[in-house]
Amino acid sequence: MSEPAPARFVPSGAANRLWRIFGTGLSFVCFGLGAVLLGFTVWPLLRLSTLDRRRGIARVQRAVSVSMRLFLWLMETLGVVSTEVHGREKLHGRGQFVVANHPTLIDVVILVGLMPEVDCIVKQALWRNVFLRWPVYWAGYISNATGEGLIAACVAALRDGRSLLVFPEGTRTRPGDSLDFQRGAAQIALAARVPLRPVTITCDPITLFKGNAWFRVPARTAHFVITVGEPIPVAEFLARGEPPSLAARHLTKALTEWFEVSAAQQLHEMRPETQLKG
Amino acid sequence: MQSTQEIFDQLRKVLHELFEIEPSQVTLEAHLYNDLEIDSIDTIDLILRLKELTGRKIQPDQFRHVRTVGDAVNAIHALVQNKPAAA
Repeated sequence: MSEPAPARFVPSGAANRLWRIFGTGLSFVCFGLGAVLLGFTVWPLLRLSTLDRRRGIARVQRAVSVSMRLFLWLMETLGVVSTEVHGREKLHGRGQFVVANHPTLIDVVILVGLMPEVDCIVKQALWRNVFLRWPVYWAGYISNATGEGLIAACVAALRDGRSLLVFPEGTRTRPGDSLDFQRGAAQIALAARVPLRPVTITCDPITLFKGNAWFRVPARTAHFVITVGEPIPVAEFLARGEPPSLAARHLTKALTEWFEVSAAQQLHEMRPETQLKG
Repeated sequence: MQSTQEIFDQLRKVLHELFEIEPSQVTLEAHLYNDLEIDSIDTIDLILRLKELTGRKIQPDQFRHVRTVGDAVNAIHALVQNKPAAA
């Protein structure tokens, strides 16, 4: 993989870091303002433009996806981040159950930007967040708090042909920690009897990770690699005839290991030291 | 009539069978969710298994206040002490 081309009018050298701090701050402000503005105009209008609840939600989700793409474009143009995506066409089928690891704050931005219509499972706390509550509500995202009802709702969504996005960690990875996947994704996949569509996200140098203050930008532009993988089948876990909770534990363990390997490999390929060796 | 010790030993076995929880981790003070990672979905499977073992109807509310293994043992003990309830 070659080094990403630098954004055109971004200064280099010492000014670069200052610029990216400014760019990051500006991005946060735009995100917050955008979320509130759209949340009181475009999104409610789209939602209420039809009596059909699902059609209204689909319209908002498409609008949110466009907003995410625009926002990512802003961050890339400012030189705050750069991204490369592999296998995006694999996300386009109906009823995709997408699971991804979660190193940074903008993982959702990137993935929702790649999927025009997707139901996201979102942590309950976001409904109380001043900025995020608007897209989360109007786009009809699903709260992770509902327990048994959550599994049923997700199975129904997948059966309906709708795609689902889950971050099994439930929160951003703590840097240096190994992946800690919750069992929800496995429970849904087993209940719905669908394969998992894995998306591996790596970021080097890493930014906007858990505990990272927004102004502590890395030494150079944070580069993201997003790889959409082949489906991970669950048939073998169903075939073992284990109680569902045990099958979910085994599948979660397998999924965690899959991502540990995939992310390590991807990160290794991204790093300049590796590239120098040719 | 089972004693609480017997119930505790039985519960330990069940937790291992259903969730592969190490028997050494199962103590009376062990918190089901925080220590043993038993979530709400697991609880459904657990209650089903307890129904089979005790031969009693179990209402999920009877377990609503159960937080630790000790609470669970007491709840099960109370259950098997009573005559089978009408509802």
